[in-house]
Amino acid sequence: MLEIKDLRVSYGDDTVLDGLDLDLADGETLAIIGESGAGKTTLGMSIMRLVEGKVQGSILFNGQDILSLADKEIQDLRWNRIAMVFQNVNNVLNPVHKVLDQVAEPMIEHKLRSKDEARTKAGELLTQFGLSPKRFSAYPHQLSGGEQQRVLLAMAFANNPDLLILDEPLSSLDVTTREELGNLLGKIDGHRATLVITHDLDTVSRLSQKLAVLYGGRIVEIGLTDEVMRYPKHPYTRALIRAYPNMTTVKDLQGIKGRMARPVSGCPFHPRCTQAIEKCSTEVPPLIIQTQGRLVACHRGGIVTLLSAVNLSRSFGSLKAVDSVSLHIETGETLALVGQSGSGKTTLAKTIMGLYRPSNGTIYLEGKKLGRWGKDFYKRVQMIFQNPGESLSHRLSVLELVMEPLEVQRMGTREERRKRAVQTIGEVELPQTEAFLNTYPHHLSGGELQRVAIARALVLEPDLLIADEPTAFLDASVGAKILKLLLNLQEHRGLSMLYITHDIAAARKVSDRIAVMLEGRVIEEGLSNEIVTAPKQAYTRKLLGSASALKRFKTASNT
Amino acid sequence: MHISLKKELKQSHIGKAGIIILVLVITLAILAPFLSRYNPGQQSTASLLSPSGVHWLGTNQIGQDIWSQLLYGARTSLLVGFGVGIFSLILSVLFGISAALVGGLYDKIVMRIVDAFIVIPMVVVVILVAAYIKPDLPVLILLLAVLSWQGGARVIRAQALSLKESGHINASRTFGAGQLYIAWRHIVPDMGPILLVEFIYGVRRAVFMEAGLAFLGIGDPMLVSWGTMMRDAMKFSYLDVWRWWLVPAGVALSLTIIGLTFISHATESVLDPRLRGGAVA
Repeated sequence: MLEIKDLRVSYGDDTVLDGLDLDLADGETLAIIGESGAGKTTLGMSIMRLVEGKVQGSILFNGQDILSLADKEIQDLRWNRIAMVFQNVNNVLNPVHKVLDQVAEPMIEHKLRSKDEARTKAGELLTQFGLSPKRFSAYPHQLSGGEQQRVLLAMAFANNPDLLILDEPLSSLDVTTREELGNLLGKIDGHRATLVITHDLDTVSRLSQKLAVLYGGRIVEIGLTDEVMRYPKHPYTRALIRAYPNMTTVKDLQGIKGRMARPVSGCPFHPRCTQAIEKCSTEVPPLIIQTQGRLVACHRGGIVTLLSAVNLSRSFGSLKAVDSVSLHIETGETLALVGQSGSGKTTLAKTIMGLYRPSNGTIYLEGKKLGRWGKDFYKRVQMIFQNPGESLSHRLSVLELVMEPLEVQRMGTREERRKRAVQTIGEVELPQTEAFLNTYPHHLSGGELQRVAIARALVLEPDLLIADEPTAFLDASVGAKILKLLLNLQEHRGLSMLYITHDIAAARKVSDRIAVMLEGRVIEEGLSNEIVTAPKQAYTRKLLGSASALKRFKTASNT
Repeated sequence: MHISLKKELKQSHIGKAGIIILVLVITLAILAPFLSRYNPGQQSTASLLSPSGVHWLGTNQIGQDIWSQLLYGARTSLLVGFGVGIFSLILSVLFGISAALVGGLYDKIVMRIVDAFIVIPMVVVVILVAAYIKPDLPVLILLLAVLSWQGGARVIRAQALSLKESGHINASRTFGAGQLYIAWRHIVPDMGPILLVEFIYGVRRAVFMEAGLAFLGIGDPMLVSWGTMMRDAMKFSYLDVWRWWLVPAGVALSLTIIGLTFISHATESVLDPRLRGGAVA
C-alpha cells in the first residue's frame, strides 16, 4: 500500500534521507527507529508531503506517487487517508479552539459528516482515547501533555485514515499513561497500515510487528520486531538495544562510540562501527536479505561471527574435561561461560588458546578453519588468566611486562612499543609514572596485577578476549571496576569477550549470551535475560538459586 | 629497580666472605708477574731451599720458586675452573632446556645419555681418558666440560619442565611466543639462581678435578698447578719442606674451593627477589 523507492531528502547541502527504500502493507505496523537526527521525522513529513527541502525518488501510496500529485490531490489525501500525529504536541493544537471542535474539524472540512455527527464522533474518539467528557470543552493549554496527546490521537483517527503515521506517539508521556495509550493504540489498529516513528524501543515493542532501523538517512536493518530485538544483525541495531534502559535485558547499559556524522561516504555507520573494513568507507552497502525475512545493509553480512568452536573436545586420559562443546562468539559480544569449578571452563579456554591441543573438533576464526596457533591467531585472540600473579613473570617490571606481547609479535621499534605499552597502561587506568612503570609485580595489589594482565592482553588490540575469572582474586569493589573497564573497552573497540565465571550474577551483568557448562558439556545456551529468567535446565536453576542476592525472596520462583 | 647481584651478595655474610676469598685468589693470579720475581718454570741449582727474603717460600726439588708457583698455580686452577664451568653450563642449558621443551623421543635420548654418564663415576673416566690422551690445558678444559654437564642438564631439565607449565610462560605462549623466545627470555633468566649455583658448582668441581689429576700425575707435567706442587711435595714429606711447600698449596686449593662454596650458598636466595627480605619499591 505504501512503497517508498530511493527517497532522498535534503535541506540545502544537508542530506537527511539518502536513498531510502521501504514497503508497508495493509494492516501492518512498522516501526522506524533511530537516534535523533537519523531522519525519522523527515521521512514521516515526506510521506505527508509537508517537507520543505528538496525531495527526490518516489513515494507510492496505493499506486499513486505522492510526490508528483497536484496540491489539490494531496490535500484530499492528507488527514483524510493519510494522517500523522506529530511529535511536538504544543505547536499542533490551535490554542483558541476547544479540543472537541478541533477533533471534529477535519471531518467537517472534508465533508464526511455533518457538524453534529462530527462532534458526536469526535466525542466517541476522545472517550476511546481516555479523555474524560468533562475536558471536551477545555482549551489545549488547559490540558496536560498526556491529555493533549490523547486529543492528537483522536484527531488522527477522526477520518479513519488508511495510513497512520505516529511520530513519537508515546515518548513524552509518563510510563503509566504510555502503557494505557500503548494498549489503546494496539487495540484500535485494525486494518490500516501504521508507521510508528520513534527512538524509543519500548514503543516499538508495544506497537509494531515489523521494525526498520534508520541510520544516517538509510535503513540498515528490517525484520520482525521480536526477532530483531532478540537477535539484532546490524551492529547499530545491537548498539541501540544495548543503550536502552529496560527491564528485559540484564547486561549493563553501553553507549555507542562516537557521534552520528553527516555526510559520510560509504556505509553511514562505518565511523562508529567496530567491525568496519576498508570497503565500508567507500561503498554503500545494499539492503539485502541475510536470513529469512531479515534485511541488513552491511558489507560484512551483519554482525560477524568471530570465533566458533565445533564439537571441541579435550580429554586427559579417560577424563573428558571438555566434551564436544560447540559455541560461537560474535564481534562485540560477550558470551559468558558459567559453571562450577571442574566443569571444564578453563580447559575449554586453554584449548581455544592452543595451550592444550584439542582431542577432537574444530575451531573457526571468522569462518576460516584454524589449522595452527600462530602469531597471527594470538594477535587477534588474547586471554586473561585466572590468577594474574602467576601469569606475570616476577622478574619483569610493569613496563617490560606490557611490552612483552609487542616484542613477541615483533611490532614496531623499541620506542614505538614503549609508547604503545604506556598508552595501554593508561587505558586500563593504571598510573603512567616512571616509578610505576618500573615496579615489579610482587609490589602490586591484586587489582593492579589484574590490570597489568589486562593491559598485556589488550596491547595487541585483539578482537577477542578470553577472560578466565578475571575478578576471582579481587574484592567486590575492585572486581566491579575491572568489569566496567572490560565493558568500556567493548564499547570503544568492539572487543568480543568470552567471559568465564562460576558466578551467574556477574555473568548476567556483562554478557549478551550465557552458556552453562556442566561436566565438560554446554547444557544450555541462550540470551542472558532468557537464561536468567526462564532457565530450561535444572542445573541452571540450581545455579541461579544459589547465586548471590542481597535479599532472598522466599517465593518459589526458581522451581 | 634492577637487582644488583653485587649489592645483594654483599648483604649476605657468607656470600661476602666467599667473594672476598675469590677476589683475593683472582687478584693474586692476575698480579702474579708483579708479585714474584721468578718465572715459575725457571730452574736453578738452589733446590729445596728454606723460605728467605730471596725465595719467600723457598724452592722445590728442581730449584723453582714455590711462591711463584703458588701464584701461577692459581691461574691454572681458575682458568680450568671457570673454563669448564662455562662450557659445562652451556651444554647443561642446551641439553636440559631443549629436552624439556621439545620432549618426546629427543628428550628420551638425551636423558638416557645423561643417565649413562651419571652411573659411571666421572673421576674414573677422566683419569682413563686423560691418561690416554695426555691433554694440554685447552683439551683438559673441553674434556672436563664434556664429562661434567650431565648432572646440571638433569637439574635444569626438571626445572624447565615445571617452568614450562607455569602461568607466565603460558601467557607468553598466548602472545605467540615460540620455543626459542620462551627458552631465552623466560626459562634461562628464571633459572638464573640455579644456573649460577650450577656454574659455581661446576667451577668448584673442575678446580678440584684439575688439582686431582695433576696430583695423580695425569696430564701436562709442564703445567704449573697446585696439584703438581702437592704431588712433588709429598715425595719430600720426610723433610720439613711440607710446611712451606705442601701446606700453602693445600691451603690455597682449599680456600678457593671454600670461597666458591660460600658464594654458591649465598647465591640462591639472593637472585630470587621473593626470597629476599624487606620490601623495596
